[in-house]
Amino acid sequence: MKVPKRQEIYKPLKATKFEIIQGIREIFASHDFSDEDLLELVDPKLGVITSFNDLMSQLENLRKIDLGQTPPALGIEEISD
Amino acid sequence: MRRYRININQISYASVAKLSAALDAGSITALELTKALFERAKSLNDTCKAYIEMFETSALNKAKKLDKIARIGSLHGIPFGLKDLIDVKGRRTTAGSEVLKNNMAKDDAHVVETLENAGANLLGKLNLHEFAYGATGENKLYGTPINVFDHSRLAGGSSSGSAAAVAWGLLPFALGTDTGGSVRVPASLNGLVGLKPTYGKISMRGIIPYCWTLDHVGIIARTVEDAALILDVVGQPDRKKSSPINRHKIKFSEKLNSGNHLSGIRIGIPKGFFFENVDDEILKATHKVIKYLETKGGCLCDVTLPNMDHTRTVSLTIQMPEALSFHMPWLKDRSAAYSSDFLAGLALGQNILAEHYVKCKRMLTNYRDSVDQLFEDVDVIITPSTPIISPKLNCVNITTKGLTEPVGNAVTRFTSFFNMTGHPAITIPSGLHSKGLPMGVQLIGPQFGELSLLTLGKLIEENHDFNIQKPSI
Repeated sequence: MKVPKRQEIYKPLKATKFEIIQGIREIFASHDFSDEDLLELVDPKLGVITSFNDLMSQLENLRKIDLGQTPPALGIEEISD
Repeated sequence: MRRYRININQISYASVAKLSAALDAGSITALELTKALFERAKSLNDTCKAYIEMFETSALNKAKKLDKIARIGSLHGIPFGLKDLIDVKGRRTTAGSEVLKNNMAKDDAHVVETLENAGANLLGKLNLHEFAYGATGENKLYGTPINVFDHSRLAGGSSSGSAAAVAWGLLPFALGTDTGGSVRVPASLNGLVGLKPTYGKISMRGIIPYCWTLDHVGIIARTVEDAALILDVVGQPDRKKSSPINRHKIKFSEKLNSGNHLSGIRIGIPKGFFFENVDDEILKATHKVIKYLETKGGCLCDVTLPNMDHTRTVSLTIQMPEALSFHMPWLKDRSAAYSSDFLAGLALGQNILAEHYVKCKRMLTNYRDSVDQLFEDVDVIITPSTPIISPKLNCVNITTKGLTEPVGNAVTRFTSFFNMTGHPAITIPSGLHSKGLPMGVQLIGPQFGELSLLTLGKLIEENHDFNIQKPSI
């Protein structure tokens, strides 16, 4: 697994504008979340979720990790006696 | 048969094993025990908010029936409670939410079937963070469970009612679910034992999911022995699932070794992340436990866990699309009934790409493989359970040694990784903080290695330096 250097990890993306999230909702969304719900993504106040912008920056950095042929995780099987 | 007057305080804080012995000896009956616990619950629930619903009539009737037949095992006649995500046929499963306030369960969950078959007596459904989303346990609809050690602080969550019920002496044990620490965190913050077994070891059938990839059923109890007794029952294979994961039939309670020597057990200490930005006293208590284990014959080794920089992101990126997928059928008509924090989380799920989700599931494989490999060199890993003591009610962010983070992130900082790897983990009390609040250590074992965790946990528990006296209420 190629892990990027630490200084590469938290390179922030440009700030996500509220209008961008609204645009995503209008084009792709399966549910019509209210502006209030979406505002929490841009400017979190509730102390539960990471801001959308932070999450996108971090996911962008995850893209740089080459996982080769590693498949997605499945269940855990116990070996029989 | 000799009968004793029931001392309510003894009953309230007795372990399952002690209550079972008392029932065996005939010094109490299941009915007396059940009545006493309901009395206590009715007098304290307005304060502690542990219960969502009590099943007084049915539990008292069942207790009468149980008293008339020979005891069939340790849990016969023992009262318990369930996090209100767990289905009980003919009862409401509210998930702590307005959305499901009238949701009647059609069948019993696997854990309910097994506990019923063992003669345990269900006293009611317990409070939680709405849909298990969040580790603070805050709930506007049913109230926020509070910490028995300091009423200005949280019981923690998401299995907040499960921990509060046991900590306030309303029940000897309760079940919860743990997706990022939701059993271990409240157990630790309330001075209890919290066990999250290996992923899939306890069947999730009949439990409202939050995130299928990370959800585990967990046990909150007063002692390690109790956790073993309960795991013996709820950890039985689920024959109603096409491929039950758990094939072994270990009786943990029988194998639990109360010996006081570890004879070379290898204890891994993950330096760095798990010992950084931690409250000084929690750190000190953890080192005291480690030193004690060394004096008992444990062999200490440094271990390196995978890079933790992305773990929070990976977990969140898996959680929110899965939660959104589950909740989509209700969102259209009932979105106004959801709390705003959960709706924001679901909205986040809608903005995550499928590519991101798959990448994070692949990261999980990597994490799991790396930790599996570590267990070739050590038998158990030890960390503090939480970096902080129980936070104050309504606290949003918390700063620990210069690190500021949302409260939910702070309390689950050391637990959530092991939901991603699926390894079993247990929290055991490590002492009382100078602020009068409990602290805990977390032990993590190899896949299906619950027995080593229970054995080591029992050894820690037997050292009175780490015991926590219950506060008087």
